[in-house]
Amino acid sequence: MNFTEILCFIVLFLVLPILISGFIRNLKARLQNRIGSPLLQPLYNLYKLLQKSETISQDASPLFRIVPALNFSIMLILAVLVPWLPFHFSLPGSEIFLVLYLFAAMRFFSIIAALDTGSPFSAFGASREATLSALTEPAIILSLVALGIAYRTSDLNEIFSFSQSHGLMQVSIWLLSGAGLFLASLVELSRMPIDDPTTHLELTMVHEAMVIENSGPNLALIELAYNLRLVVYYGLSAQCFMHALAVLFTIDHATYVLLSILAIFILAFLTAAIESFAVKLAWRNNPEFIAYALTMSLLASLAAIFQSAFASLSLGNLGAFL
Amino acid sequence: MHFSAPYPIYFGVAPLSLFLDPLAAIFVLLLLTVTMASAIFAPSYLRHLTGKINQSYFWINMILFIVGMLMVLLSANAVTFLVFWEIMSLSSAALVASDFSSHKAHKATIIYLGATRIATSLLAIGFLWYYSIFSSWNFVDWKLNSESLPAAILVALGLCIKAGIWPFHIWLPYAHPQAPAPVSALMSGVMIKVAIYAAIRLFVLPGSGSEELAYLFIALGMISALWGIVFALIQTDLKRLLAYSSVENIGLILASVGICLWAQKTGMKEIALISFVAALFHSINHGIFKSLLFLSTGAIDSAMHSREMKNLGGLSKKMPWTSFAFLVGAASACALPPLSGFASKWLIYQGFFTIPCQWHGKAMIGISLVSIGLLAFLGGLALACFTKAFAISFLGRPRSAAINHAKEASPSMLIAQLSLTLITVLMGLLSPQIISFFSLVYQSILVPEEAAISGFAKFVGPSLPLLPLAIVLTLLTCIIYYSVLFRKRKQLKLSMTWECGYGGLEPTMQATAGSFSHSIATIFAPILHYSTRFQISGKDRRHFPEQIQVETEISSLLESSIYSPIINSVRLLSGHFSKLQAGSIHLYLLYVFITLIALLTLGAKS
Repeated sequence: MNFTEILCFIVLFLVLPILISGFIRNLKARLQNRIGSPLLQPLYNLYKLLQKSETISQDASPLFRIVPALNFSIMLILAVLVPWLPFHFSLPGSEIFLVLYLFAAMRFFSIIAALDTGSPFSAFGASREATLSALTEPAIILSLVALGIAYRTSDLNEIFSFSQSHGLMQVSIWLLSGAGLFLASLVELSRMPIDDPTTHLELTMVHEAMVIENSGPNLALIELAYNLRLVVYYGLSAQCFMHALAVLFTIDHATYVLLSILAIFILAFLTAAIESFAVKLAWRNNPEFIAYALTMSLLASLAAIFQSAFASLSLGNLGAFL
Repeated sequence: MHFSAPYPIYFGVAPLSLFLDPLAAIFVLLLLTVTMASAIFAPSYLRHLTGKINQSYFWINMILFIVGMLMVLLSANAVTFLVFWEIMSLSSAALVASDFSSHKAHKATIIYLGATRIATSLLAIGFLWYYSIFSSWNFVDWKLNSESLPAAILVALGLCIKAGIWPFHIWLPYAHPQAPAPVSALMSGVMIKVAIYAAIRLFVLPGSGSEELAYLFIALGMISALWGIVFALIQTDLKRLLAYSSVENIGLILASVGICLWAQKTGMKEIALISFVAALFHSINHGIFKSLLFLSTGAIDSAMHSREMKNLGGLSKKMPWTSFAFLVGAASACALPPLSGFASKWLIYQGFFTIPCQWHGKAMIGISLVSIGLLAFLGGLALACFTKAFAISFLGRPRSAAINHAKEASPSMLIAQLSLTLITVLMGLLSPQIISFFSLVYQSILVPEEAAISGFAKFVGPSLPLLPLAIVLTLLTCIIYYSVLFRKRKQLKLSMTWECGYGGLEPTMQATAGSFSHSIATIFAPILHYSTRFQISGKDRRHFPEQIQVETEISSLLESSIYSPIINSVRLLSGHFSKLQAGSIHLYLLYVFITLIALLTLGAKS
């Protein structure tokens, strides 16, 4: 990684989280014939929250304030480890299972913090979050494992590098994994159709209900970590789609970077569109939606297995295998 | 190291014979660590049980139990193994029965004794069978081939019962809540690992592997893992929850042993190595963090005289150190990096993941893919289970008045817990070193190809940078905490938890263990027989209910539809058989006579 790339990464890392969530909000407003808030509204909100003083529950333990800081730092580490942009730091910890369990660690602590105040609302949110994440985890892991099988490594840097052989099978693996990851990330990020982040009723929400007791700088950290998580997830699935594209066409690096950023915006556009046109699913129908993500990831892994079968077998003994 | 007792010390057919190799040494180390912690913990823990438990009875059985486990780990032949296995089983049964007066303890002891009897008889038959094939009692001479496979399966089933593998796990959730906390720690942390140790010694060390046994282990292991964690999730008694979670972990370990056997059979040296190290490392890790969790639960028990989560809540303010220890244990059980639980879970994942990468064996690829998905699912469920266990007991508002009088555990109890906490953290941070040490153990015993070992070492070192991760994470958290939150501490306002302006939150107005796990329990309703009933009463019951009652009902599918019918029919049969024992000497003489005739005719035939 050279100097310009590091600079690019830092700029995008600072700008995109704010920009994407502002973009989704603004676009949703436009789709509903409203003017909407400015693109940088999330930044203004964060600034406002950081200035405010905090009010916390008297039942809360010290964990309640440590967790936002801890989760935000885990998220910062993840943003460096996960190849969500076309630049790679080639750090040693960029590994499928480590990355996924770091995400799990964030979830662990946010559930604990939600239960800390003894608020029934945040407990609802926490219970739902626990259920949803248990159901989505297989989809996410299998999407990434499919890529891992295709390239025979669990190192994300190696998987998301371009030194790999090209083939039509690869395109389908990348596309299916990307789709699986995107659908799963809608659940992970508590977006529609699983959770509506804009209702006024905490009883029906997941993420917003969990953080109902947080305020001020404490809440700012949570919001910031959430925005970062959003771009990391979207960026990862955007990279999957981009790799499919790179298998088909030869693209020079600068265009590729621009297209990657565009892909993240397209996914954000899709999210806004889904949130404007779809309705929230009833709670008991959520597993069915998650099943789509799981199906995508299973298909991706099957494709990966067949691909390695083609790679390791000549046409002669392929018949014997089938 | 090998030791054989001189001639007069004989167990009938074979001498008392012991030996110590690196594998046994690792398990002995685990045993001694957990024993040390339990021994430090026990004296002040037993104080709250004064009057219920006879101290000398407890200590005598405890010593027998520990010596039994130690000798089982060290035994070099089947007869020595079986003798000390019996001492281990019976003394632990006596410890489960420590509280003579309680009816529950009676039931638990009977169930546990029943399970150990069946386990021992399966082992005995299996060992005799082995002897008839190899005409030696020494474990070293026992090979795993098509001839000895039936014997191996019998022994494996016997070990599975002891390890608490589905469908034989029934005794765990009964025995653990009855046993005193240090005993639970030893039973769950070490005793069930002794069964795994025996499985490794008998089936993995011969080096030839076996596909049949591998499939059996993987299937039983994965089913126990799922079954265990689902049941753990819905428990409301902390100790039962931990017992079921042991079923999950032991299942994962057994599945790893299965992968290792399969890989040995098919010649995938690297996978065999990975899954061997995974099984070994996870056994040790689980031994440590589960003992830690059991000891913390014991500390709660001695402070509160209750382990029911409905009576707990808000304990972290009264018992900060205990809650810290429990949190670390819970995080390790959820396999959160950088703790030890993650390092071994990561190896288990790698064992499954390498199979499709190296392309070998059609059925196995499907199995490994499904297992990876299942492992992820189990991880999510474990997360739900342990966040619930920690948060409902230690956070929130106190659910009973007794909590206001709760005190932090005594210093000796804290030392025991915190030393195990430290070990869990250190084992996570030093995991690359520990993993390469364990792979040397495998090498020293089995001598696989050099290439596999060096490839393995290269692959573990860079992918598991837990120590740098932990350092960076701690630094970042401190910086962010101090720069964003700490400087605002003076402006911090304390207020009540938001209650919709309803006026005062009562302790019951928060999530309970049951309500937290409700949404997952409904998914598994068929195997849990899970059902909820609501009853809302009052004049205008829709808007102003006077009384709301919620009742949940759970029973295990396995217990209600398989075990109860079997037990009932055995009871019925034994009722008939008891008529044979009429108490008349004439009748008994007749039996003797008939037996004699029968034996003579049998002898005449051969």
